[in-house]
Amino acid sequence: MIKFDSVSKAYPHGNFHLKDISFQIDTNEFVFFVGPSGAGKTTILKMILKAIIPTSGSIFVNDLEITDKKFNNIDKLRQQIGVVFQDFKIINDKNIFENVALSLKITQTAKKIIQDEVNKVLDMVGLEEKKFMFPIQLSAGELQRAAIARAIIGGRDIILADEPTGNLDPKTAWEIMRIFKKLDHEEKTIIIATHNVDIVNSFKKRVIALKEGIIKKDLRSAGYEL
Amino acid sequence: MNEILKSIKRTPYQSLASFMILFFTLFLSLFFFSLTSFSYGFLSYVETKPEVTVYFDTKTKEADILKIRDTMTKSGKVSDINYTSQEDALKIYRELNKDNPLLLEMVSADILPSSLGIYAKKPVYLSEIAEYLKKQPGVDEVEFQKNIVDKLITVTSIMRHITMFIFLFLILISFIVLMTTTAFKIALKKDEIELLQLLGASNGYIRQPFLLEGLTFGFVSATVAFVLFYGIFFYLQPFLNSYLNGISTLPFYNFGDLGLYVWPPSMSYILISFLATSLFGMAIGLFGNLIATSKYIKS
Repeated sequence: MIKFDSVSKAYPHGNFHLKDISFQIDTNEFVFFVGPSGAGKTTILKMILKAIIPTSGSIFVNDLEITDKKFNNIDKLRQQIGVVFQDFKIINDKNIFENVALSLKITQTAKKIIQDEVNKVLDMVGLEEKKFMFPIQLSAGELQRAAIARAIIGGRDIILADEPTGNLDPKTAWEIMRIFKKLDHEEKTIIIATHNVDIVNSFKKRVIALKEGIIKKDLRSAGYEL
Repeated sequence: MNEILKSIKRTPYQSLASFMILFFTLFLSLFFFSLTSFSYGFLSYVETKPEVTVYFDTKTKEADILKIRDTMTKSGKVSDINYTSQEDALKIYRELNKDNPLLLEMVSADILPSSLGIYAKKPVYLSEIAEYLKKQPGVDEVEFQKNIVDKLITVTSIMRHITMFIFLFLILISFIVLMTTTAFKIALKKDEIELLQLLGASNGYIRQPFLLEGLTFGFVSATVAFVLFYGIFFYLQPFLNSYLNGISTLPFYNFGDLGLYVWPPSMSYILISFLATSLFGMAIGLFGNLIATSKYIKS
């Protein structure tokens, strides 16, 4: 469960990035954040990761108040969350297997378990046969699939995707979204920030629409409209 | 190890700079450490020698020498006095040159001087004793050890201060170079570090490869510095032998009983030198990178 309670983020000269935002995302829910650039979508995702601290308000992730001054277990919080970025953030001098394994290596997981888990998720995203290839040898769609594999491995139960199809052609974008659709059946909370109207409309999931740091609409089984 | 090799491949010049500065620091530290240990050992050796040694002409009769010895003993200014006859001198000479038969063949007792080794009750008597002995008939040379000891103490003290200054200067330079090169490596891995942080890697996990690299660089540099130093030392040892011929052993500070000798260097002393150099190198590498990662990797 993720809960934002009257969260605001103000910048030094009085400009607001988020203004008094409140919402709750239940466990295993699939949610789209939509809105124009600068609406605050990425800020919300970064706040869930505690990469940005709100100016006021409280944020709860799995019943933990991460905005509490005493909360400093950022590593453990982030180990529950898988992140998919628009620019993939795949490390160029590691092969796909090593890139995906990173999520488990940081938790000192045993080698055998890493091997089994990586093979499993790479199989799921359709990259099993390309696991020893380096990023330069793969297409953008394949890189994004590797990034998704890295995000879901190791039982991370919250998946945040910031414009996951932003750098992809429409066909590849749909391939990526099909993977997210598959994940929807795997007991994971999935939050996607996107501009892609067609994708949002076709999924018929909850949509939170933002504009200038304010929630304009929060509709279940909705489409992209502001 | 793979990560370290990757890092070297990725930043070869920065890695070379780190290695070179650590190598020079450790090589010079080893040199000054050995020099200071040697000078301390040499000082201890000189201090065990009589404070005043008087050598007599080879023609001086033993009875005359013993008369001088008795006079000195009765003076009340001498705590101990040893007589070395020409035969005793020959025995000492033979012992010192037992490995050089050519030198032994050419020497007999009658060409070696008899001598008296004198220890004064108080240092103030030394000049007086030396002056008295110089005026005695049959005396060839008076060696006044106090001057040598004083000079050695002064030289050793200056050497220690210079060593400490150079040592601190080298450490400072090493830290600065290591921090700069590590900062550069961190900047190159900025995206990877950011990603690891977002995936939930702890600060310790992210810093670990840099710290291991510092330790490895320290150890490798220390090993190379050690091998080169002792390579040069053993190459020059025959040359040094000719200067230190009269000295059988020089202890490493007060640890001679433990078999630690600076001259000729015992295996245990060489081993301790290696351990000290490599631990020192690893400590510089570790702390240099510890400071750099604390400063440049923000959580």
